[in-house]
Amino acid sequence: MGRMGSAPAAIRPVPVGVPEFPGVSGAGTLPVLPVLRELLPRGGLARGSVLAVAEFGLLCLALVAGASADGAWCGIAGVPEAGVLAAAGLGLDAERTLLVPDPGDAWPQVVASLLDGCELVVLRPPAQAPAQVRQRLEATLRRRRGVLLVTGDWPGAQVRLRVITQGWTGLGDGHGRLRACCAEVMADGRGEAALTRTRWLWLPAEDGSITAADPADVPIADIPAPEPGRVLRAVSGG
Amino acid sequence: MNTIQPEAARIMVVCCPQLCGLADTRAGAQMFDQVLAAVTRFCPGVEAVEPGICAFGARGPARYFGGETALARKIIAAVADIGLEPRVGVADGLFAARLAAQGPDRVRGPRRVGGPGQVRGPRQAGGPGQVRGLGWVRVIPPGGSAEFLARHPVSVLAEQDLAGLLNRLGLRTLGDLAALPFGDVAGRFGAAGEAAHRLASGHGFLPLAVRPPAEDLSVIQEFDPPEALAEPVVFAAKALAERMHEGLAARGLSCVRVQVRAVWADGRESRRLWRHDGFLSAAAVADRVRWQLDGAPPAAHDGEPGTGGIAILRLVPDQVVRATGHQLALWGEAVVSDRVARAAMRVQAMLGHESVLRPVPDGGRNVGEQVTHVPFGEKREPRRAVAQPWPGRIMGAAPGVVYPYGREAEVTDDEGRAVTVTGRCVISGEPAHLVIDGEPMRHVTGWAGPWPLSERWWDPVAARRRARFQLLTVDGRAWLAAVQDGRWLIEAGYW
Repeated sequence: MGRMGSAPAAIRPVPVGVPEFPGVSGAGTLPVLPVLRELLPRGGLARGSVLAVAEFGLLCLALVAGASADGAWCGIAGVPEAGVLAAAGLGLDAERTLLVPDPGDAWPQVVASLLDGCELVVLRPPAQAPAQVRQRLEATLRRRRGVLLVTGDWPGAQVRLRVITQGWTGLGDGHGRLRACCAEVMADGRGEAALTRTRWLWLPAEDGSITAADPADVPIADIPAPEPGRVLRAVSGG
Repeated sequence: MNTIQPEAARIMVVCCPQLCGLADTRAGAQMFDQVLAAVTRFCPGVEAVEPGICAFGARGPARYFGGETALARKIIAAVADIGLEPRVGVADGLFAARLAAQGPDRVRGPRRVGGPGQVRGPRQAGGPGQVRGLGWVRVIPPGGSAEFLARHPVSVLAEQDLAGLLNRLGLRTLGDLAALPFGDVAGRFGAAGEAAHRLASGHGFLPLAVRPPAEDLSVIQEFDPPEALAEPVVFAAKALAERMHEGLAARGLSCVRVQVRAVWADGRESRRLWRHDGFLSAAAVADRVRWQLDGAPPAAHDGEPGTGGIAILRLVPDQVVRATGHQLALWGEAVVSDRVARAAMRVQAMLGHESVLRPVPDGGRNVGEQVTHVPFGEKREPRRAVAQPWPGRIMGAAPGVVYPYGREAEVTDDEGRAVTVTGRCVISGEPAHLVIDGEPMRHVTGWAGPWPLSERWWDPVAARRRARFQLLTVDGRAWLAAVQDGRWLIEAGYW
């Protein structure tokens, strides 16, 4: 694995990959679900870049789903609790997914290997990554033109995303069941992503997909009162 | 398309039941090597089918040695010298010959022979006859294979899934299957059904004549320094086989027989032909490489470094057929590209076979069961029926976080008393506080449940009863919790 050490690792903060085709999912980016495009500076996951999502969850899986549905292979390392079923509901193709639940101490090598085969790697580093390890991985990433999605903190990340607030609908005191979740997602970062963007999303909507939400009808921190028929259905359906 | 059946080949199968169970032991592999050597003295073109079973075309040698039965007796005598009791079957095609050799009482593994269709063999045709008290031979006369096969249950087919389905449909024997029109079977069951129908009708597996490839499609891997251990060689064989398949697939071909050649650093060489009833997958080829290396003379393993190891491994697909839609992709399985396979196998080499998993949506009532993880390289198939309704399953949104093991939690009501659930699924109080695994306490703002689930009550070991809840906490998160044996477990998180 000599390839890891040989690249010029000093040019870390440079945004990589001039987009060959300016557009939504040109060669410079991997596609994302339409509703997530506005959150990302180039309307997709820029190849060769690192994205950091504050915590593993549906947002992370949603970011992966668009590219996976488009035919990309996706590796998920260090996340034994990844909810594949929910991800599949968002569009992730389970057949093109590799899970490495426990990469252990060798996680930088594991991620580098996964990047050889997968366009997209989700990583939760088992430990805080030293700067040198990060720079090497970023160099590998640029060479492979893949995308690394880190859950947790990654100082060199081009884009950072997190869920600021979220609220579920459908659950009452002793009745109902979880139906949909409305979340406010914030994205910021460095360079072209420096502008902070926030969007309201149904994450997920009642049908399991992700759609844009209107803050006006968002029931944060209290249970909405849907029409009576729906409550009845919810009780009997649970 | 050319659908003319090639003249049915007379195939003789030599089966050593004692070796079949020893597939992966070195002693068994070495003994099988001796069997192959013994049989090769009668006919050069001997193919190994799997450990303990080999086959060859019987027409020429039988004529030379004075008939099929006479040839079989000679082979049995030769193999008996090694100390084994071989069973020989002769029939049209490998499938029938193998069943004839394995006989009614010695069918291995998941295959069962039972019911009224017990095969006793056509005695009028010269078998089964005891030969000197060691082993026996059964000859199915030319053209009699279809009749012989018809009495076998469908469970003798290698495709156990298909066999189970046929059984449930009331097609219990190969004869029942063969009686159906070919087109209907192919239309209903796809390529697998097509293949099964061909086997059942005694036509053999191959729809078109097998031919040697017109060009060199072999792949080769050199080990420098020579590899002394079998395991890395087998590992490399998997990637090598993958490469061979890609070369074949690019030409629209599939391989039904492969020659494995291993050359040791000291010049010794092992060549063997491996035949398969269906098509040899990469993992299947790797298995055969392991079997062959296990059978190789032991000098390879305890020799001094540098001389004992394997220097070259070569796979030669020496019989190919036109690929007619037998690719895995036909069933919706994504074709794993070479690039991905290499990456996954490199991680497996670092962390072990079980470290790289592929998820398979599965049936089941609990969120943890609804996805099965299969090690990379193994067949992805659900363990439980996905399409069944699974009453008791929690409907609605799927959790984004599913813990591999339930996390211990404490749920208390407004007054701080632990919330309990009675056997009749009545809760002692409304959940108000949630503490997970020693994390800071969270206020519960909404909840639903308990939804009881009693699973496998008929099995005292596997039986379990649990009550499930969805809990909403003040931080906007939602949790899936279960009470089992009086303990609260957090199974999943919705975020």
